[in-house]
Amino acid sequence: MTDHQWLELAASYALGALTADERAGFETHLAECATCRAEVQAYGEVTGLLVHAAPASAPPPELRERILREARRRRPLGPRRVPVAPWLAAAACLVLALGTGYGYLRERAARDQASRALAAARDTLAARDSLVATLLSPDVGTAALAGPGRPPSARLFWSPSRRRVVMAVFDLPPAPAGRTYQLWAIAQGKPVSLGIFNTAPDGRLTAAMVVPPNLSFEVTAVTEEPAGGSPQPTQQPFLTGKVAAD
Amino acid sequence: MQKTISRVNFEAVLANQQGQSRWPDGALVARISAGDDRALGELYDRHGGMAYALAVAIVAERADAEEVVADAFGQAWRTALQFDPGRGSVAAWLATITRTRALDLLRARGRRARALERAAQAGTNGLAAPLAEMAVAPDRGAEQQEAKRLVRHCLAELPEPQRRVIELAYFGGLTHTEIAAELQEPLGTIKTRMRAGMEKLRGLLAPLLSGEGS
Repeated sequence: MTDHQWLELAASYALGALTADERAGFETHLAECATCRAEVQAYGEVTGLLVHAAPASAPPPELRERILREARRRRPLGPRRVPVAPWLAAAACLVLALGTGYGYLRERAARDQASRALAAARDTLAARDSLVATLLSPDVGTAALAGPGRPPSARLFWSPSRRRVVMAVFDLPPAPAGRTYQLWAIAQGKPVSLGIFNTAPDGRLTAAMVVPPNLSFEVTAVTEEPAGGSPQPTQQPFLTGKVAAD
Repeated sequence: MQKTISRVNFEAVLANQQGQSRWPDGALVARISAGDDRALGELYDRHGGMAYALAVAIVAERADAEEVVADAFGQAWRTALQFDPGRGSVAAWLATITRTRALDLLRARGRRARALERAAQAGTNGLAAPLAEMAVAPDRGAEQQEAKRLVRHCLAELPEPQRRVIELAYFGGLTHTEIAAELQEPLGTIKTRMRAGMEKLRGLLAPLLSGEGS
């Protein structure tokens, strides 16, 4: 298929109207085509506005209380402390092997991070303030997360005082159905979940995550887990990085 | 029907998307991720009407729509930490969750979407309701009313066959192959209509889209 033919699928892809085979093929193409990724992004916004085409319909008053009642029974997903896992030694070895390409990754990540932060600011002032404050906090540490010698990669900013981690992920295809990615902090040899995430069809993500109180760590790692995340890693991490003060 | 969309109206919508008047949506989501159920209530007050209208448009039955919206806000509550402002607005995030839940429920019950019933009625104005209906819309804030009005105006600008395939995909969750079967038209025709319709809609809605507004 020529690039032009791929481009013609972008609108239907954003509408969710491709068949499973077409979608799989298109997503493979998306991983390597910035033009199509931009088209999907634009048509995704058009699709998002279609919600306004639904005829007005008033919900019953009791629906609000039902939602709040159900919410009070179940807390939001948050970071949890988890027991030690044996794959740590492997993670530590990978971290030691880091270094090549560090400067390049760092520069690229910083550039992409800045533009992503701008996009975030357009939507919500509060999210921007929190994110920027984390990036600018005096104690911010950074980590370049990488696998063995090729994409994907990730850049992580960690502010102990604000207990926030800001993560920018690159070239990571979205997790398959029923799976998710999970970010771990390795604290005194124990993996602690910082949260689960998934990437956009363009393989990217910028996200802020809350770090549990009194948690200090030097190593972070990313694994692929069943949807909803795991209390402890079930796989070897495919991205690891050591936090360094800037 | 007024066909000209004034610049001022677009700006009102954009101002709301930037959250200038109240707690920004993003701040509500941050409070929700910290377990603040009052913030969830505020989020519902702001977007519950939109979610419910979307759910009704897809599943038709009101009891099903309530279940969909309850599930959707439950998911938003549990996964607020994963919301990424870089990937779109809070409203778009909630709409995506609601639409996915609604289409899942339809498929689970082997039912047809309301969009299909509407499509079967030839010569209708598509899913977009008459503008008079908007007075009873439950969403708070004139901005959401304005967004509704703008999007409907833009949809009304499309040739009816183009609008229909877009509505079948969005509200019916159908692939273009399924739409071709439903409408008994060649697949190539459906693909062309969908692409042309979305392209035109993108142009009409450009002032509301990031990076394309002037």
